[in-house]
Amino acid sequence: MQAALLVGLVVAVVWFFEKMFGTPMVNRPIIIAPFVGLVLGDLKAGIIMGASLELVFMGAIQVGAAVPPDVLIGSALGTAFAILSGAGPEVAITLGLPIALLAQSLKVIIFIVRSSLMEPAVKMAENANIKGLFALNMFGLILQCAMYFGVAFVAVWFGSAAVETFVANIPATLMHGLEVAGKLLPAVGFALLLQPMMDGKNILYFILGFILIGYLELPILAVTVFGIILAFIIVFEVGQGASASVQEDELEGLFDE
Amino acid sequence: MSKQVQSKEDKKMIRELFWYSFLLENSYNYERQQALGYAVGMWPAIKRFYPNKEDQADALVRHMQIFNTTPHLVSAITGVSVALEKEASQQDDFDKSTINSIKVSLMGPLAGIGDSFFWGTIRIIASALALPLSAQGSILGPIMFLIAFNVPHILIRYFGLKFGYNFGTSILTSANESGVFAKITKSATIVGLMVIGAMSAQMVKLQTVVSFNFEETVFNLQDYIDQIFPLLLPLLYTLFMFWLLKKKNKSSTFLLLITIAIGIIGAYVGIL
Repeated sequence: MQAALLVGLVVAVVWFFEKMFGTPMVNRPIIIAPFVGLVLGDLKAGIIMGASLELVFMGAIQVGAAVPPDVLIGSALGTAFAILSGAGPEVAITLGLPIALLAQSLKVIIFIVRSSLMEPAVKMAENANIKGLFALNMFGLILQCAMYFGVAFVAVWFGSAAVETFVANIPATLMHGLEVAGKLLPAVGFALLLQPMMDGKNILYFILGFILIGYLELPILAVTVFGIILAFIIVFEVGQGASASVQEDELEGLFDE
Repeated sequence: MSKQVQSKEDKKMIRELFWYSFLLENSYNYERQQALGYAVGMWPAIKRFYPNKEDQADALVRHMQIFNTTPHLVSAITGVSVALEKEASQQDDFDKSTINSIKVSLMGPLAGIGDSFFWGTIRIIASALALPLSAQGSILGPIMFLIAFNVPHILIRYFGLKFGYNFGTSILTSANESGVFAKITKSATIVGLMVIGAMSAQMVKLQTVVSFNFEETVFNLQDYIDQIFPLLLPLLYTLFMFWLLKKKNKSSTFLLLITIAIGIIGAYVGIL
């Protein structure tokens, strides 16, 4: 009961912050899982599970009106169930994924319900009722927070006992298989992330980034800086070939003397 | 032109617009998407430029039209809208429909930049910096993530607003026409792809335990792979997932299920 209440509150408050502060990414697993860990008394486990879940959900992002899996609910409940049943990050992932997919429709419902707020909103605008518009905008957000609270509360309250027995009965081979799958799942996240960005031509940049780690084992920051410089050269320098070659000629002239 | 910001009233308005811009997605919905948040976000300018209630209502209704862009970058468009509203309030013959048409012509390209920059580049870099710390259970991981994402976020939000208001009408629209947006998007894509490549290499883990016995000597397949191309298997698997998604139009759920199946079956038959 107490755990359910706390997890519900974390989810609702985190979503409230996410939308009151212009999408600062506090609803990512890397942030939400530590909070769940904190209220359930195991901050460290929460942080570690957050890292695993973030990798898996890396590609689940909201761009435009398409609704991705519900990362917030999936990672919060996955983490909560794993911590409450004394299991590790594999269990958080195994439970978090299907929950996120099931919860996908929650946002759809909210987006539909809030569409019905638009008619009163236009009426308020016609009367220059800014207080009303402000309140309505907030109401839309609080509605969603309340729904998240309810879903998380009910799921943890009724679900944790069942999850505990389930986790206790997973055979060892299956557990090892889940571990292997857990390490492989980031590939799905990255593929989802790549889908809108990558095509036959620019796949080379992806492979370049990959081999800088694979062969050279550079730190990520080095790859990033390298990428920024490379992007600058390709996009802004090479495009201006004519003027660049003139400068080179002048330089060569200098060195000849 | 830049003198405009110097006045005390202007500064106050910019500050208010900046804070209001955070509320953009409170009531995101299918019908008008971010419109309600956008209209609320325009209020500090509307109340200043239009003293009488009728004009305020007109302006609010105008900004209740469907709107959608990257939330972190909205302030640049707000700035342009505010500059246009200011013009409109001072000139009687100003065609107010241009306010929305300029808004609409900017929201697409800015969403293009914003999505590839904030979601595809900044967020990925922030995760890349934070994940190694988080994986060790350090509280610095989540903190690092928030700082690495939100310092650029807040700066761009603030200066985007000022920029949009001061120069936006001329520069943002001409930048759109001259293809500067396309160049920035391309740069962000290159950096994003390289960082995603690097992260895939660090974080996707796939090793085979297959080995052969030849006259007392054991050959581990993985050792040979490592000598030729370290991390070849994770690379192939990531590209395989991408291929299923892009070329075979499989859903993300299908990818998840097949990955879990491969993990379990691979472990069961003893090759992974």
